[in-house]
Amino acid sequence: MTRETYSRREFLTGRAATGKAPAPLDILILGGTGFTGPEQVEYATARGHRVTLFNRNKTRPDFFKGRVDQLIGDLNGDVSALAGKKFDVVIDNPTTFPAWVRNAAQQLKGNTKHYMFISTISVYPDNSKPGADETDGLTPLPAGLDPYTTVADDAKKYYGALKTASEQEVAKHYAGIHTIIRPGLIVGPLDRSDRFTYWPARIDRGGEVMAPGRPTDSVQFIDSRDLAEFMIRMAEDRAFGTFNVTGPAAPLTVAEMLGGIKAVTAAGAHFTYVPADFLRANGLQGWRHMPVWINPEGATAGFTRRGISRALAKGLTFRPLAVTAKDTLDWNKTRPEAEQKTLADGAIAGIPASKEAEVLAAWHAKQKVAP
Amino acid sequence: MSTDRRSFVRTLTAAGGALGLAGLPKAAFGAPANAAPNPAPRDRTRKIEKAPVSLNILILGGTGFTGPEQVEYAIARGHRVTLFNRNKTRPDFFKGKVAEELVGDLNSDTSALAGKKFDVVLDNPTTFPAWVRNAARQLAGNVKHYIFISTTSTYSDQSIIGLDENSPVHTMPDGLDPYTIDAGDAGKYYGPLKVRAEQEVAKLYPGIHTVIRPCLIVGPLDRTDRFTWWPARIEKGGEVLAPDNPDDPCQFIDSRDLAEFMVRMAEAREFGLYNAIGPAHPMTVGEMLHGVKAVTSAGAQFTWVPWDFLQTQNVRPWRDMSVWQPPYGKTAGYQRRNSAKAIAKGLTFRPLAVTAKETLDWHKTRPAKEQDATLNGEINGIGLKREAEVLAAWHAKQKVGGK
Repeated sequence: MTRETYSRREFLTGRAATGKAPAPLDILILGGTGFTGPEQVEYATARGHRVTLFNRNKTRPDFFKGRVDQLIGDLNGDVSALAGKKFDVVIDNPTTFPAWVRNAAQQLKGNTKHYMFISTISVYPDNSKPGADETDGLTPLPAGLDPYTTVADDAKKYYGALKTASEQEVAKHYAGIHTIIRPGLIVGPLDRSDRFTYWPARIDRGGEVMAPGRPTDSVQFIDSRDLAEFMIRMAEDRAFGTFNVTGPAAPLTVAEMLGGIKAVTAAGAHFTYVPADFLRANGLQGWRHMPVWINPEGATAGFTRRGISRALAKGLTFRPLAVTAKDTLDWNKTRPEAEQKTLADGAIAGIPASKEAEVLAAWHAKQKVAP
Repeated sequence: MSTDRRSFVRTLTAAGGALGLAGLPKAAFGAPANAAPNPAPRDRTRKIEKAPVSLNILILGGTGFTGPEQVEYAIARGHRVTLFNRNKTRPDFFKGKVAEELVGDLNSDTSALAGKKFDVVLDNPTTFPAWVRNAARQLAGNVKHYIFISTTSTYSDQSIIGLDENSPVHTMPDGLDPYTIDAGDAGKYYGPLKVRAEQEVAKLYPGIHTVIRPCLIVGPLDRTDRFTWWPARIEKGGEVLAPDNPDDPCQFIDSRDLAEFMVRMAEAREFGLYNAIGPAHPMTVGEMLHGVKAVTSAGAQFTWVPWDFLQTQNVRPWRDMSVWQPPYGKTAGYQRRNSAKAIAKGLTFRPLAVTAKETLDWHKTRPAKEQDATLNGEINGIGLKREAEVLAAWHAKQKVGGK
């Protein structure tokens, strides 16, 4: 697949007119062919910036071939392609390990005026407080773990801790000229994690859709394009600091999310909300099986209510949900068969149709017995 | 009858008619009849295929709300379109775009139709049986198909859940002559008059007529604000008063879906009687408002206030809480009518987001005065000021009740 193989025309709005930035920047994007990266490339290019990519050319090979400069290398190995290069801004998308930051810094330290790091909202171990902001406590590295580990399994087990340590590594190498972005769930076209895509795809099939918890439960997520565009504008503004980035600006309920997604389809899905307890009793977890949603109680009471006022003050904006939903749905239909199957099986996120039908039947049976 | 007939017709539609609503506020006449054209936004990327056979179509009216969509779609399908109207609602709206523009008045001079022959007539504006009779003086015997837009307000019992084309319709009260009825009384007798107009159509075009009964028609070009209130209001953000319960049912039809269905019915020479109601599967008022919210970035927050409390505040269904009717008692079936017959004939429905976004985009091209009137609730919709009062009263009650 190349960048041109799916339509980039946004639903209803077309693509918003993108003005040129006042001053063109020399931007290095680490990664750039995954999910948010391509949106950074598109927006940066449209804003008149000069974009260089550094990656393994593996995730989506030759995705931007001929459109930007591409340096081949590996943050986990050979970064020599960066030697002697100078940039106004580096945007670090893929880093999970502090070792990658250190590795890249061997070439980039002193050669960039600004380092922007995509961290994650998972750096916060405490998800119980609604409205928690960037001053909230971070996840420490577990005792005995080598901070410079590059063991793949560690990245899974200690994701929050290693991202926290990566942030600290960034702060060490690029003191005073770094920006840490902590996004919540990133959604939109090109997302292979199915963590939002499940819903547009499911709702587009119509029929009775199992919906999680209560309709008024809150949800938070950020369209990859809103995230990417915000980061480029932050680069243009040389805005340093740490920012939670999720959305939307005002609270959104799960019913509003699902109803909004339904509105871009003609399938006429109808929703049956199944309470958290019953989901749990049937082996279904929020997030993993009922994507986006996390029961907003107890230890996760604040998970979908992170404070984002800092980013809002710096100009974070949000596409209408209908745009996110329809563009994701359209993109999903262009995915290769293997990815479609993964989604249908609920292998990464969501549940297969058979499991949904089974739990819905159980729920209706229970309702009948004890109305 | 009054020369201000079109304002009057608009008043009728604004009132919904179904419950024999009368006593409309003056402001219902607010939208100027000759406002500058502000055409509906169009998705130019959409491909419309030519019909197998080109028809010669006469559209009565055609410059109001659904009419323009019939014109656009019929032309795109390769038909020859003639308009007959007073050239008053949106003067010269289609000047040069249609094959022929005939000027006249269904209420009086229809001589411009003399000697003309058509494959199909689409009758949009008729409220009175006399208008059908009047037009038939020229058209009977000269058309192969007559399609009449009636209304679901013809049904006399809106408590029936799943109401279909066989459900009972209004009758004209004894002693009232539908041919000479005073225009001023027509609001009160909207349902019965449309029934009689349907009967007039059946009498004058036996075996070659189609009667379409749409429910609430929504979309761009709608000056009644009956749906437009919601996109306009939700786009403003903040706390929005929402009716009763998010699970209450709601129904409406996009003017484009209606128009396109009618043109395809003409192509297929389909006769008979059809409800035209959307969407195909049940939609809740929660889903409607959430869908409208989804096309904005304003982050509106809905406060659902029960019908019992709305009543104590004199908040009216339909007029103040647009689209919504209480799903209880005599309006229990108002938002749960059956349109299976039309769906079987190919009635389709745009996604709500398309309807909502294009209505909003069109609304923003309206003259500032009309946009203000919308948010003031002058035609339909509760209006910002009254909304704030009702919300404050509700929150005050919640506070007291909560302790």
